[in-house]
This record gives sequence, C-alpha cells and structure tokens, in this order.
Amino acid sequence: MSKFDYSKLVDKEEALQERSIFWDPGIHQEELKQIFNRCWLFLAHESQIPDPGDFIRTYMGEDDVIVVRGQDKQVRAFLNACSHRGNKVCQAEWGQTRSFTCSYHGWSYDTSGRLAGVPLEEAIYDNLDRSRFGLAPVARVENYKGLIFGTFAEEGPSLAEYLGDAGWYLDVLLEASPGGLELIGTPYRVEVPGNWKLPVENAIGDGYHVTWAHAGAMRVVGTLASGRSENVLGIGAENSGVDLSGAVEINIQPHTVLSSLDGQSGYALYDHPEKVLEYVEQNRPDVVNRLGEVRGKKLYGSETHIGIFPNLQVIQGLNFLRVVHPRGPGAFEVWTFAMVDKNMPTDAKEVIEKNVRSTFGPAGLLEGDDGDFTEAITHSAAGYATRKLKGWLGMGQGRKVPWDGPGEASPGLVNELCQRSFYEQWQRTMMAASVHDILPKSRATAEPAVESAREVVNG
Amino acid sequence: MGNPELRAAPREEVPLDIAYRVERFLALEARVLDEERYSDWLTLLTEDVRYRMPIPRNTKRKNRLGKSTLGGEGLIYDETLPTLRQRAMREETGLVWLNDPPTHHVRIITNVETFVGDQPDSYDVRSKFMLFRSRRDRDRISHVGWREDVLRETAEGLRIAARTVYLPERVITDKNLNTFF
Repeated sequence: MSKFDYSKLVDKEEALQERSIFWDPGIHQEELKQIFNRCWLFLAHESQIPDPGDFIRTYMGEDDVIVVRGQDKQVRAFLNACSHRGNKVCQAEWGQTRSFTCSYHGWSYDTSGRLAGVPLEEAIYDNLDRSRFGLAPVARVENYKGLIFGTFAEEGPSLAEYLGDAGWYLDVLLEASPGGLELIGTPYRVEVPGNWKLPVENAIGDGYHVTWAHAGAMRVVGTLASGRSENVLGIGAENSGVDLSGAVEINIQPHTVLSSLDGQSGYALYDHPEKVLEYVEQNRPDVVNRLGEVRGKKLYGSETHIGIFPNLQVIQGLNFLRVVHPRGPGAFEVWTFAMVDKNMPTDAKEVIEKNVRSTFGPAGLLEGDDGDFTEAITHSAAGYATRKLKGWLGMGQGRKVPWDGPGEASPGLVNELCQRSFYEQWQRTMMAASVHDILPKSRATAEPAVESAREVVNG
Repeated sequence: MGNPELRAAPREEVPLDIAYRVERFLALEARVLDEERYSDWLTLLTEDVRYRMPIPRNTKRKNRLGKSTLGGEGLIYDETLPTLRQRAMREETGLVWLNDPPTHHVRIITNVETFVGDQPDSYDVRSKFMLFRSRRDRDRISHVGWREDVLRETAEGLRIAARTVYLPERVITDKNLNTFF
C-alpha cells in the first residue's frame, strides 16, 4: 500500500498536478517500480544491432541494461550486473562481442546471457551450477517493425497490445518506405537537472512554449535559406496570434500524438529542407498507396510528435527519436537519435542529421532553453509550501474536432491535451495494483465536452 | 574522437615571435568571448572557417565497426561562418531568457603549442582550455578540453580558419552547450 494518494496528486477533471510528483524521492522510487518495472520501454532499433554479437547499452528506468543480438540472431536484454557480485559486465556503450566479461573476477557470459567462463572454476568450486548464474534477463523483448522494446513484467499486455493505436501513427515512419526507419550516428546524451516527466510532456505536447521559451532561437532557426515558414506551429511571429485550425493533438491513451497535418511543415525549421522535401514528395504516392490518404497526405511529412508512455518520443519533421531516462527524481538523461528513412538518398539523410544537431543536439539552438524550467519546477518544490502548489494544464480542455484516425482529437498544437493524457496515464500506472491494469479499460475515452469550450473549425 | 588515433607528435615549431603573437591572439579571443562581444569574435574567423566538436564515444579500444548504424563521426558542432553567425545572433536577440540575468564566462587558455602549418602562412595550434560558466545563484559548470586550431595570417592579422574542440564528456552535464569554445 502506497503512502501516496495518487488519486489526489493528479486531478484529471481540474487538470491539476501537485508539484510533489516532480520532487518527492518516495514517489520516484514508486515510479521505478510501478512504471519502469512494468511498462514496455524502448531499448534500441534493429539497425543498431543488425548482426550476431552486436550490442548496445541503455537504461530501463535506472537499471543499466545490455541489449544484444545472440548467435541465434535473437535479440535479448539483460541487467548489466555480474551474477557473482554485481559489478557491470560491460562498460562500452556499444560494439560487437562474443562475450561480456566482468572486470572484477573475470566471470564471462555469452551473448545469450549464459555463464560461459569462470576463472579457476574446477580448482575453487565444488558447488557452482553455471545454469543458475546467467545474466538476469529482461522478462520480455519484442520488436515492432524495427523498434525493440523490453519489459521487466513477466505478464501483462504484449508490445502490440501496449502500443495499441499508436502503431497506426508509428507506421507512418516505420512503413513510409520499404526500407523502414533507421537511427543513424552517435546518440547525443545530455544530463539536465529536473524531473524526467517534464521533458517528456514538453516534447509530446507543449506547443505553447515554443515561440516564447525559444524566442531567441526562433528568430534565427531556419533563416539561412528559404526553409523557414514564419508561422511555425500556427503561432504568428512575436506571439501575434494563433491559428488552431488544421493541426491536432490526439489522445490515444496511454500514448499521444500531435501533428501539424499539413504534410510538409515538419521541415519548416530547416535551413535547407529542399532535399528532404523532394524525397518526401517523391515518396508520397507510395505512402498513400500503402497507408491510405489520411496518413499519406496529412501525417506523412508533417511535424508529428508521437509520445509512447512513459519515456519515448518519436518526432517526425525535426526527425529525431528521443528517450528520457530518469536519474533520481531531480535529474534526467536525454538520448537523442537522428532518425531517417533508410531509403532516403545519403544527402537527404545528411540534411536531417545536420538539422537534428543544430536544433536539438547538446548545442542545439532550441535544445538549451528548457533546462531552467525543468530545474525550477522540480527543485523549487524542495520548499514544502511550493511542493503543495499545483500545476494546471487546462488548455483546450473539452474542445474537440473530428478526426479520421484513431483517438480523440482536439484542435491546434497550442493545446494541453497530450500533457493531460500523459498525467492521466501516469496516475493510472502508479495506481494499478496489477500489470494487467496499466492500460485504460477502454482506449481513447473522450474528455467530456465543456459547455464553455468554443467550437473551433478544423480546416 | 572515441578512440582518437594520436597524430604523430607534431612538427616544426614556429619562431618565438610568432608563438608569442599566437598566444596573445588566443588570449584576446577568449576575452572577447568572455565579454559577450560575439560580433567582434566573428571578425576573428576566416570566411571559410570550419568549427567542429566531435563526440567522445565510450567504445572498446578495439571496437569492430560491423554494420551497425551507430557510430560515425558524431558531432555536437559542425559549423561554418553562417551558422556561427546564426548562433551569435541568437545570443544577441535579447530573447534568450536563460542568459538574462547573464551567464558569466571565464575562459582559461593554456598549454599553447604552435607549429608550422600545412599551408603557407598558417599555423597548427594546440591549446587546452577551461571554460567556466556561472549562472544564477549557484549554477556553476566547468568544461575542460583541448583544441586544435588552424590560424592563418591575413591582411587583418591572425584569423581562425579551423577549430576542432575536443570535450571529453560523453554525457554532457550542463543545461546546454550554447557557447563558444
């Protein structure tokens, strides 16, 4: 029984979140158990570990994990902890290997996690049963069209069930071409003060902050050539006005999507989008054939942010995939991977990689602005009175718009639907007694219409 | 620079007067940046300047590349004069809330070694740096690394034609690297 009353910490009807949820070390410990030990978490993309022996290290919550393709070509994941005393068996962030050897006493494990070698074994042990001392496996590892996820939960939803309708949106990236998706290059890793939930909901839903928090950057990004559309995200220059038509935020609990739906503005922040746009338009008829009109014409090429609960963001347009790993309640580590269509010409891939670097790399023009907010929202809550304050995400509450895809849609990218959805799912997972209860009973329950909510016409 | 191949210990050192001018130039440059004079700093660069910062990767010394899409050069900065100007313009919009109140910078440049360059009138210059940033009440961060520069003699004096910044931090523990090294 938790000492925290999650039913009160997040108030769904009033769209309030008590600020202790960002600061409290006790809540963080429960998150590691309720969320990170039960939800499906993104581990890697197939393209990163294509051959037997290829591995990459990552985190599941705060657990250090090795993801490795075995000699039988199957991908498995293990806790990075020697079964003898617990030292890490792998310090490299990725590579190709036949075994993982502990640097403490030299125990070594093969790529399927079996204990394969123990120095001096015959002379010193009478009672060592190697079969009991393999690396501790991540309970289930599954692949959705190249995206590899793992969960520590033995039971509960399969990956396909967990992703649910989010798959319909992910397919726009995963099936845009027969080549599929590819993550390229060296992922950026940055550790920032603040609670992990804040960068997640910022990326999946906060269109409101873009032209204000990033005002300095927005004056200059995309200005070197013809790429820039002044009217980014529907917000006019200098916050002069907002156009909520056309774009949507979509609640597909437990996940979220926002999209500009215009088929091209994902590349609005590029200095030189031409090569990418050319490929997109050339490929579009195929996408329409494969995935239909809505996805081929409205979603493909748009700025689309898919939030997979809890900590994965797949961002089309700016074209990066991002994972937020918690580092205690008060810090997080962001991993950013440049994401391309495998069939794109090399020069288009280079344009994307360069744009990811210049916008959301560690020295990106936009990346650096958010650290103050995540820090203040989290660490000001060290004060008891501050901790009892509540944040409010009531924007667009009850506003609806017809939408031809799965989920409940609300108009505009300046809307807090996705963020409300995130905290609702956070609450559900924290309260779920069983892993079978972490998903909503019926997906995509619509927010009740609010009397006062104005009708917004969606072009 | 994951596992950098150390270039053979370089070449011929320049005469003392040039070495002295180079050291003074790097000190001047550091001060111009500390004083947030970004427009002035841009004039210290050549039109064709390349400014790069590779990512140090934690892979095994004998890592095999294989067919993985991981790796590649991996750059945090890969800049030309127009993109450096873009970064400087961002700082000067007055709209970067993170730097208001201002971030205080102190750049310490040391271990300067100046060698005869590959091109005539150019020098290969190596230096170590510490970049200290102080913001707000107690947000204090130091970045320590080294640089490989190509400085060129021009009619206006020494100018930076290339800079590669080596920052040996795999995980950047800073709110951003929006600064000039």
